[in-house]
Amino acid sequence: MTSERYSFSLTTFSPSGKLVQIEYALAAVASGANSTAIKASNGVVLATEKKQKSILNEEHSIFKIEAITEHIGMVYSGMGPDYRLLVRKARKIAQKYQSMYDEPIPTSQLVQRVAYIMQEYTQSGGVRPFGVSLLIAGWDKNKPSLFQCDPSGAYFAWKATALGKNHVNGKSFLEKRYSEDLELEDAIHTAILTLKEGFEGQMTADNIEIGVCDKKGFRRLTPSEVRDYLASI
Amino acid sequence: MSIESYNGGAVMAMAGKECLAVVCDKRLGARLTTIGMNHSKIYEINPYLYVCLPGLATDALTVYQRLRFRVNMYELKESRKISPQVLCSMLSNLLYEHRFGNYFIGGVVAGLDPATGKTYLYAMDCLGAITIGTEGFVTGGHCEEQLYGTCEALYRPDLGPEELLEVASQAFLSACDRDAGSGWGAFVYIVTKNKVELKSLKARMD
Amino acid sequence: MALQELLQLEKHASFGLKSVDDVELSEEIEELNSEKLTQLPITPFTMNKNVQLRDSNTGRHIHINMEKGTTTLAFKYQGGVVIAVDSRATGGDFIFSGSVKKIIEINKYLLGTMAGGAADCSYWHRSLTVRCRMYELRNKERISVAAASKLLANILYNYKGMGLSMGTMIIGWDKRGPGLYYVDDSGSRYSGDLFSAGSGSPFAFGVVDTHWKYDMTDEEAYELGRRAVYQATYRDAASGGIVRVYGMKPTGWVKISEQDCKVLHYKYADEKMV
Repeated sequence: MTSERYSFSLTTFSPSGKLVQIEYALAAVASGANSTAIKASNGVVLATEKKQKSILNEEHSIFKIEAITEHIGMVYSGMGPDYRLLVRKARKIAQKYQSMYDEPIPTSQLVQRVAYIMQEYTQSGGVRPFGVSLLIAGWDKNKPSLFQCDPSGAYFAWKATALGKNHVNGKSFLEKRYSEDLELEDAIHTAILTLKEGFEGQMTADNIEIGVCDKKGFRRLTPSEVRDYLASI
Repeated sequence: MSIESYNGGAVMAMAGKECLAVVCDKRLGARLTTIGMNHSKIYEINPYLYVCLPGLATDALTVYQRLRFRVNMYELKESRKISPQVLCSMLSNLLYEHRFGNYFIGGVVAGLDPATGKTYLYAMDCLGAITIGTEGFVTGGHCEEQLYGTCEALYRPDLGPEELLEVASQAFLSACDRDAGSGWGAFVYIVTKNKVELKSLKARMD
Repeated sequence: MALQELLQLEKHASFGLKSVDDVELSEEIEELNSEKLTQLPITPFTMNKNVQLRDSNTGRHIHINMEKGTTTLAFKYQGGVVIAVDSRATGGDFIFSGSVKKIIEINKYLLGTMAGGAADCSYWHRSLTVRCRMYELRNKERISVAAASKLLANILYNYKGMGLSMGTMIIGWDKRGPGLYYVDDSGSRYSGDLFSAGSGSPFAFGVVDTHWKYDMTDEEAYELGRRAVYQATYRDAASGGIVRVYGMKPTGWVKISEQDCKVLHYKYADEKMV
């Protein structure tokens, strides 16, 4: 069979010990749209830019920030279609956990299991790694948490971080602005300011998206709420 | 006689004020013949959490081992102790996975939160249908009906550990005295926030 | 009857009721209670042992759950016969009673034991009591154990295959000395030195077979009977309650002891401790 000949993993080691396919995937992330996330004392904020390719696009029907459960949400930098597959899988993982243990999945568990899938795609035959990095925000039993998942399957816990084209500047900006006792409202402002670093053109409620996660759960802010935050900067 | 009552045996759990009594009889039978008189049906998950598996003894052993496997995996994966609610859900799922070709056992889950003293009681049938023990007691096994009667008559809310031992033992032994398949002594775990005591009750031996 | 005629009373006291049906009913009951003791009405259709009653709602066969679990024991020795029984009545696994009298006192010289269906045993022993008394009145001497047990065996043979459940011992003392017969619902009747019936019988047999000697003293024999039934209650879930021991002597039966199994268990347990 011809298909069998190509059913080995495409992610193979280079003689120097690198997995270049994964590096290419990370490059896809690093050239993608900016996203940022900050963990505050009483919640987490996710923010991303959503540049429209044409003024004819309908802005508020397709979203980059998605809820996974009542208390977990995520955003990405990189390839949109890959992200939607991961959202689907993450939601299924969360529901399976809920039905198995009759309690909501802890964010760390969701991250581990999503990362497990992303790793599988670096070692299986006939597939390629995901071209996305995820930022996953959650609220578990009075505690906010923030994680990043990479195409390699590696995952990290952050206080604040940035992804995408401008992630280096974004991170150094956050390093300057972050403090341990940050409140959620201030964190939203800081997140918007981080996006603003290297934002080309005018920032409006139509070209950024914001999600917050606190004790009430995860939700995406409405354009009018975003507009209010933008006005107060 | 059904296969579920082949080995006989009864279990019960009763909640007090920041304490818990978990009780089982000691009989292991082969239909009418008593072949063992030191057979516990209570399995310790941790000092604050117990699962009782009355019914066919061979199935009880298997289910306990499979449950233990899942509990261990859960605690390793999530690096935290399992809670009574999660254990109950886990056992319920394990049993329902065998909906067609079920295990011939019931299940009672009893737990105490050592931080708050809150008690958790659950009972389920052989397919995993959960009953939450809101009345303060749950029962299972061969003389479930008799146990409901004695528990409803003797149970009072907010008992201390000493009184709870008295009430639970009395309710349990009286019920066993009306059942041919249960008895021959009983084990009682009295669980409080800082201590677990295992008592062995003397009973009628017929 | 003579007094009734003298006083010109009605043949059947109807207590003000004139209905013919009522009179017929009382007639029937009267007949049932005297001469027709061994002729019970059977089902309205031709009785065939293959025909089974069905539940009118579900159409399933009606299964009458009768008391089966028991331990009864009787054996001969030089001084007479020892009879020992438990007192548990079960229906399925439920314990209906822990204080049933399973030794039936037919008369001063005759005892019966009950194993199997409680209703069958008590009814047919009652019937046997009447027939033994009738025999005594007619013949001016006591019925022999052989004859009494044969009366019962014949009745059971007549009802063979119709669902009676009995395993009974008839114990007595007559001209020939101590008598011990085993009679059951299949119609069989055996004479012997040792019988045990019920679900606990294997355990009781084990004890008696190990320790029985013809030359036992009365006390030794009573203790053996007691111990055998106690051991059966210990291992058999359907036996328990009180261990009753009777003795059959030339002067008739004597009640020896009635002890709770719980008391016996802890007494024997203490004796085992060194």
